[in-house]
Parts: sequence; C-alpha cells; structure tokens
Amino acid sequence: MSAGTGAGVYEGGVDLKRRAQAALADDQLRAAVALTTDRLRNGRLRAIEELGDWEVWRERARAIRAHTIAHLDYYLGRFADEVERAGGVVHFCATAEEAVAAVLGIVREKSAKVVAKSKSMVSEEIHLNEALERDGVAAIETDLGEYIIQLAGEKPSHLIIPAIHRNRRQIAELFSRVSGETFPPDTKALAGYARRRLREWFLKADIGLTGCNFGIAETGTITLVSNEGNARMVTTLPRTHIVVMGMERIVPTFADVEVMLNMLARSATGQKLTVYTSFITGPRRRGEADGPDELHVVVLDNGRSAQLGDPQFQEVLHCIRCAACLNVCPVYRHIGGHAYGSVYSGPIGAVLTPLLANDPAGAGELAYASSLCGACYEACPVKIPLHDMLVYLRGRRVRMKLTPRGERIAFRLYRRAFAEAALYRTAVKAARLMLAPFARGGRIRRGPGPLAGWTKSRTLHALPAKTFRERWKELGSEPVEPFLPSTPNVPTPDSSTPGVPKAECKPFSDAAGAVERPDRSGRDGA
Amino acid sequence: MIRDKHIRTGGAQYGREDFLRRIAARLGRSSPLDRKPVRDVVGVPEFYARRQADRAELVRRFVGNWEALGGKALVVPRDTAAEEVGRLLAKIVAEHGIRRAARWVHPELERLGVDAALAKAGAEVVPWAFDPSTEEGMTADEVWPLRRQLVDAVESCGLGVVWADVAIAETGTIALAAGPNRGRSVSLLPGVLFAVLSEDCVVLRMGEAFEHFRAAYADPGTRPSSLNLITGPSRSSDIENDLTIGVHGPGVVYAVVVGDSALRADRSD
Repeated sequence: MSAGTGAGVYEGGVDLKRRAQAALADDQLRAAVALTTDRLRNGRLRAIEELGDWEVWRERARAIRAHTIAHLDYYLGRFADEVERAGGVVHFCATAEEAVAAVLGIVREKSAKVVAKSKSMVSEEIHLNEALERDGVAAIETDLGEYIIQLAGEKPSHLIIPAIHRNRRQIAELFSRVSGETFPPDTKALAGYARRRLREWFLKADIGLTGCNFGIAETGTITLVSNEGNARMVTTLPRTHIVVMGMERIVPTFADVEVMLNMLARSATGQKLTVYTSFITGPRRRGEADGPDELHVVVLDNGRSAQLGDPQFQEVLHCIRCAACLNVCPVYRHIGGHAYGSVYSGPIGAVLTPLLANDPAGAGELAYASSLCGACYEACPVKIPLHDMLVYLRGRRVRMKLTPRGERIAFRLYRRAFAEAALYRTAVKAARLMLAPFARGGRIRRGPGPLAGWTKSRTLHALPAKTFRERWKELGSEPVEPFLPSTPNVPTPDSSTPGVPKAECKPFSDAAGAVERPDRSGRDGA
Repeated sequence: MIRDKHIRTGGAQYGREDFLRRIAARLGRSSPLDRKPVRDVVGVPEFYARRQADRAELVRRFVGNWEALGGKALVVPRDTAAEEVGRLLAKIVAEHGIRRAARWVHPELERLGVDAALAKAGAEVVPWAFDPSTEEGMTADEVWPLRRQLVDAVESCGLGVVWADVAIAETGTIALAAGPNRGRSVSLLPGVLFAVLSEDCVVLRMGEAFEHFRAAYADPGTRPSSLNLITGPSRSSDIENDLTIGVHGPGVVYAVVVGDSALRADRSD
C-alpha cells in the first residue's frame, strides 16, 4: 500500500496556459514579482560572494542532504526517538488526511478554539486551515505576508514573500475594512496595526502551529527560522505546540545544521542569518514559566517516499525550501506563483507538484512552464538538477501517451525521417514546397497549422531554394563571386578562371595548423 | 530510556513502524537501518572551521555586524561595567519612556546592579523569578495561571534585560538558552531588548556556539527546551518589499560587551 499520493497538492486543473495568460495580463503582479525576484536574487549574489568558495559549500550541502536522504530511515528514526526522549510526541502520517486527522485530534483533545500559525508550507499542502475552520477553530496566520493574504482570502504568490502581489494602498484598504479604523498607505502604520492585532492573537491562542526548517536527528531538535519573531511567539506563549513537517526535512547533527543555515538565509534573501533562529527540543521543562506544556511533531509522507529509490527524482527531496530557484527562473518572474496552481511554485514547484500528486496528466503540465535554461540548478544551494527533472517529467508524459496524438505522430515521422536518408531528402523537398507560400522576404511570420503557435511570437527562416548538399553537387558549375576583403593589403585572388576556387588565400585551418578539406566528391548523399 | 524528572509530559511515537519500513523498502532495505551509517562529509569545510581571530578582533567584528543590522552596541571595561550599564539603562528608560522592565534572574545581572539602576531611573522591575520549586506538586493545569501571570507582567514591560551565554562575531548574533529564571518572553515581548555579555564568550562562527552549548549541557536531561539565536531587531519586507522594523519581536536591540581587550587594542593604535 503506497503512502498515499498528495492528491490535494495540485488544484490547477488542466488550464496552465489560461492561468499563465491571466498572470501575464496582470501588470501590477508582474511588476511586483519582477521587483521582488530582482531584489532577492541580487541579495543572494552579494551574500554568496561575501561567504566565498560558494561551490565548495554547495557540494558540501548537497553531500549532507544526499547522505541524509539515502539513509532517511535511520535518521528519521533517531530524530523521533530523541523527540520522544525530550518529552515530545511524534505522529507519523502517511497521507494528508492522516496528518489533518492527527492535528484535529490534538485540537479536540485540548478543546482549542484558536490556533496561531507561523508559516508552514506543509500545512498549506494538506489544506489544514480549511479543515480547522470546518471544525469551528480559528487558524490565524501570523507571518505578516500570510496574515495579509489570509484577510484577503487569497493564496501566496511567492514562497518567501507571499503577499508580494498586493501594494501598500490595497493593504491599507484591506486593514481599514477589517478593523473599522482608517489606515494610510504607510508601511509603518500598517505593520503597527498587524503587530498590535497579532499580539492579541498570540496571547489568546490555545495552540501554536509551525513548520520545521530542519529536524536535527542527534537531539530531536526543531529548527525554525524567522525574521519577524512570530515563530518565537507561537512556540513560547500557547500551551501546546504542533510541528507539521515533511519527512525529508532532517539533518544528522548540529554541525550539519550550521552548513544548512549558512546556505538557507543567503540563498533566500541574501542575509547571513535570519533575525531569529530557534532550536526547540521538547516541551518546556519543569521550572520554565513560558513555553508549551506539550510538543507534537506531525511527520508527513504524502507522496514523498515514492521518490525514494527513483534515480531520476530522489534528489528532489534534498530541497531546503529557500526559493532561490524562483528568483532566477525567467518563467516564474513573469507569471508569479498563482499560475502554478499549487502551494509549491517556481521550478521546485513544477517538479514537486506533479510528483507528490502523482498526476503526470494535470499537474505534469507544469513541466512545460520552463525554458530549460538551467538557471534553477545553478542557483540551487544543494545542487538539485531541476532542469533535468523537468525533462524527465516530460518524458514520463510521452511514455504514458499523455501528449497530443498529433504531436506523437509528428515526432514518429521526425524520427523516421532522420533514420532514412532518402526519406529525409523527400521530406525536406516537401516542406520547402508547402512552406513556400508562407514565406515573405526569406521569413515565415505566420505559419500554418502546428507552426501557428510558434510563429505567434517568433519568426522562422524560410527554407532556402537549395540545400547545401544539393549545392555541393552543382558547385562545379556555379559562378565564383569576387572576394572583397574588408582589410586592406590582402591580395585578391585571381577570379579570371570561373568555377574552381583558387588557393591564393590561405585556407582556413584549425588551431594546430592542419588544413581541413574533406574530399566528399563522389560520395553519395553525403 | 531515561525519563527525566524535569519533563512534564511523557513522550510517545505513533505510526512509526509502517512509516519507516516503507522508507526502508524504497531504499532497498528489508527493515529500517538501525546502525549509524558511515559518513565522510560532516559539517562545515575545513578551511572555514580552522579560521581564528583574537579576542579584540572578535569583539570588534561582533559589534560591527550587530550595528550593521540596526542594533546598538557598547563595549565597556570590566571595572566600570556596572556604572556604564547603569548609565545606559537610565538613558534607555528616559528615551523610550520605560515604566516597567523585565529581567532574567542571573548572578551577572545582579553583579551589575541592574535593579538599582532601573529603579533609580524610575522603572519598576519585573524579575523572571520562576523555577522548579514554584510548581512543586502541581499539575500543568494548576500551574498555568501562575505562568500566565508572569507572562502578562512581562508583556506590560517596555524593556527586557538578559545575559547572553554566547555571541557570534561573524553574523552579529547573541545566543540565549532558556531555563528556570531565564524566560524566553523577556527577549521577545518587550519592545526594547538589552543584552549583556562577557567578551570571552564571543566566538567566530555558529558552530563554535553549538559546541559551547553541547559542552554546557552534556547530559541530555539538561538540554534546554529552547535555544535562540538573535541577529538584530525584528524585521519584515512583506509589505511591498518595504523594510519595517519591530514587527513582532523587539525593534530596538542593545548589546553590551564587558571586557577590556577591544578597548586596549584601540588605545594602543
């Protein structure tokens, strides 16, 4: 029995194109996403320059993650044992439903009415807020950006800065509407309101719920990073702390977490460290007046274990959720996060979503939201070959016959044409004939049938009147055109004898000085 | 497994067997690995760990990085530390209109005469006086109101005073471990944070801070429930990429380093 697929991870249906077009039409979103990704990308470049020897660090981080994932059964086991030893409770959940049930069980046992949440992608992956609300429990997002989009009833558009698609004026209007007070579009005033309002929630909350950036196996320690302090709030004030984490978010030791923390903040925002880095080991001890009485750690599979043992995709579990790949992706930069139809967006989202959802048909379309430029791989602090994985995902769709029938036929013909020379030559002649009516001045600007989509934003060269091979055969009878050098004092070859090119000029040679003049005369078809 | 008497709730694990077995199977094992695997790459690169700096340099770098992030720092000589700290606290109380100040119960803070300085400046002192004896013989539900009372008292304070165990020079970070008489809330709820530390506790990198805590809490039963690295004032850029300071945690942060090395080095230049 498989560990369930993350069926709820992808909410996009099969209309990626439509969502992308909607995003492209939203000028404010595009400007905001571009500004944010630029800022974060430049921050990252400065920070890694300051650290120095970045490639050495990257390889180190990759090795640590690779070792951990390759031995995840051991390290996850150790982690759970240590959490238990420190007085925490571990709930292993194979599916999203199980994880939601585990959280709801704790909520009901405590008769909790308010859950204060610090940012957790996993909690959004399993749609926890909706489940809590259905149970009559208020789930308050306390990360400033998440708080804003929660009030607005929206989804995050960026992994690190969720409300980037909303400007000051819109946020002021939102806060004014919600609070009954009037707010100017001034950052300080808006942040001040959020601080006041959320402070009330922090003190009122029965349960604090967080994600987990890194679970340290040797001590069962939960590592949480934040800049605002809300993660500290929700893990200090409420009586119960629930951690929701993907099973792969483990590192073996504190020595290893030093590496990962050095990579994370620099890759995400260009900081050396986030303002708060908290290490939580078990609930409060006797004699501590703050901190939770109980600590619960919900460990989620939801399609992750299916990637283990798969040489193409196991590395996707190395991800540390820094969003560096989002900030360098030319596609993400233009369409933002909503277009991906999943809580995970950008290059990592385009790979992770179809894998977790086990949905090559619907979510698998996300593999086409890429130019395959490889910038994501270059930016990834743990060297995940996302660009390769996108190609593998496309390959999977082809093998499962999910691509359009016309496309499959076209590629079959393409393969045959390149395998048989005679067929190739015929195909070229036929293509030249068919495309000739569409060519103007050597260019095709409005192509027929399948070329229509391509030529909407690009031009194609028309096929020339003769192929090189056809010309080569007739080269002997072609007139020689005079050679006009652009530099003075270079002797002009004697052009009196038509047909045969003279060897007056020094023929092109390779670096070693040897002259290449393959003799192809007489070789058929070459 | 040793159950520490300090731990309030018993730990437990649910659903472990199937979960780990599934992972093991995907990784080609018939049962979950229970022996520590061999590793060749552990922790930071050699060249990074081998770096050294003398005490004066460490203090200077810590101060530089702390201030670069908007924190305020002061280096004071050991023999006049109490005086200088008192003077700075008075200035802060006046500048920020502090009516109540929370503080850890810590011998170093006592030695510095923090209470007297705050009282002189007109601020009421709220000590985080809570230790195992306070909840002796009580259930979690019974002790909750007492805990809450203390948290509410600190919530009404404009200033929190702590003694940092370790500071990290290259990131401008102070490290606070929670414990009896050392509440997390003191460095979190008030709008101004005031941390004092000794210059011999400034290390170069994060890993050395971890080593300090590993040695200080060698017995797993004594491990702190919370270790916080604080690197500057609370901040957010979530509103239109516009930086704002003091969103949930303290927006004004002070670090006072007690020791003569950096001062001596400056004077001899």
